[in-house]
Amino acid sequence: MNSHFLEIDELVRSDHWYLEPEDECYYIGEYTARGGHACSETNQLIHNFKKSLERRGRPEWNYKERAISRIANLIRANIRNDAVLTFVPIPPSKSKDHPLYDDRMSRVLNFASSGRPSDVRELIVQVRSVEATHLSNERPSPDDLLQNYLLDEALCMPEPQLIFLVDDVLTTGCHFKAAKRLLSTRFPNVRIVGLFVARRVPNSDFDALD
Amino acid sequence: MNSLDSILSNKPISPLREMAAYEALWAHQNATFKTIADCFRENPGVMPSELVTEPEIDETLERVLDKIKLANIYDYGIRIHGSEDYPNRLRSAAHPVEFLYYRGCWDLIEAPKRIAVVGSREPTEDGKRRARKIVKMLVADGYTIVSGLARGIDTVAHTTAIECGGNTVAVIGTPITEHYPPENRDLQEKIARDFLLISQVPIWRYSQQSFKYNRLFFPERNATMSALSQATIIIEASNTSGTLTQARAALHQGRKLFILDSCFRNPELTWPERFEKQGAIRVVDYDDIRANLE
Repeated sequence: MNSHFLEIDELVRSDHWYLEPEDECYYIGEYTARGGHACSETNQLIHNFKKSLERRGRPEWNYKERAISRIANLIRANIRNDAVLTFVPIPPSKSKDHPLYDDRMSRVLNFASSGRPSDVRELIVQVRSVEATHLSNERPSPDDLLQNYLLDEALCMPEPQLIFLVDDVLTTGCHFKAAKRLLSTRFPNVRIVGLFVARRVPNSDFDALD
Repeated sequence: MNSLDSILSNKPISPLREMAAYEALWAHQNATFKTIADCFRENPGVMPSELVTEPEIDETLERVLDKIKLANIYDYGIRIHGSEDYPNRLRSAAHPVEFLYYRGCWDLIEAPKRIAVVGSREPTEDGKRRARKIVKMLVADGYTIVSGLARGIDTVAHTTAIECGGNTVAVIGTPITEHYPPENRDLQEKIARDFLLISQVPIWRYSQQSFKYNRLFFPERNATMSALSQATIIIEASNTSGTLTQARAALHQGRKLFILDSCFRNPELTWPERFEKQGAIRVVDYDDIRANLE
């Protein structure tokens, strides 16, 4: 049986405190790792997917490649063949000119939409590299993040019919809110949906580090 | 907001509504784990919310949330068949559950080595001693100890695992909103906070019927406990013990079943030989367990 997407509804929304009822968001699994252990399939998937580029070339790198194709397949299986939509990755913490820039999510989305009418556009450009939010001490607000985002005007036409903003782990919802704000200013009539590989549950390692 | 029907190939799951729908299925007078499992067998791929009406979901939701709030529980989660985090091992059960509640560290569900240690609610001193000894060795070998939080052997299994610095999972026969037996309240809360607590028991239905009917939930959870584990060890059990439900379930699910030699040596017990003929393993010393698990 194919895994269905899950909806961020009233049962779980308060775990992601920037999200509001009008934010339409879906997720595939729950990130629940605690105390450095990561046994469950979703926890392992996220760990492998986020492996730093510094580990490229090591045997463990294979796990990352496998995580990329697994996530792509999970998304692809849930999107109809004929669906017309635009996938937009939420930018990773390193900007494109950084040696550790990781295009893992763009690869997932390209794979998920290959041979289909959906497209992938890196509409949001991060100006400066930042420390991954889960490694830094300060908690930026969506407004802070927004100052570091630029819209790639060259990719804006034709206007998307529906946008899926995609990220690996939903924590507070801060990045999603900033990205959604940027896109909805440029495309006020386009429906913007959040899609996350996992949402972190409170008290997981993502909280300790966030 | 329009639905994404023309975009998504599977209808997205609303955890809250599926929770209410599962509870609503159980609110039907004659519902049992078997009738509910049959219903899903006949309608493969269907979600609980597709088997009950919208007003039923709304009504049940309100009732269930009230019960949860009254119990002061804010840290629970759910798992539902059809989503990525549902443990497929549960499908080995004769009447697999479509839905369950959990509290604590879900990650333990996939601990690489999981073994259920179960037995009598009124164990002998020797039984308790044997349970402690085996759990200590299992923890030292890296096993997560799964049990049912009942009086007696289950309690010894959980507490010993925790005392030895190991991990434990409790699959309870009451809803997450109840504490049973009452003397295990602190243990249940500790497991819910630091380890993993699982319940398949519907909150609303349980609140509406007497203990006479609710006690039927106890043996039902043993099938789930067995399905979640790679093997079950029976420390001690009478001829009429609920523990034997788990023995039958383990063999039916193709899980290893270990029975302590002391059970075979008790002349009053008829079940050890019976299960041995069906494939259970007699445990004379700890190596009999280790050798059969690796």
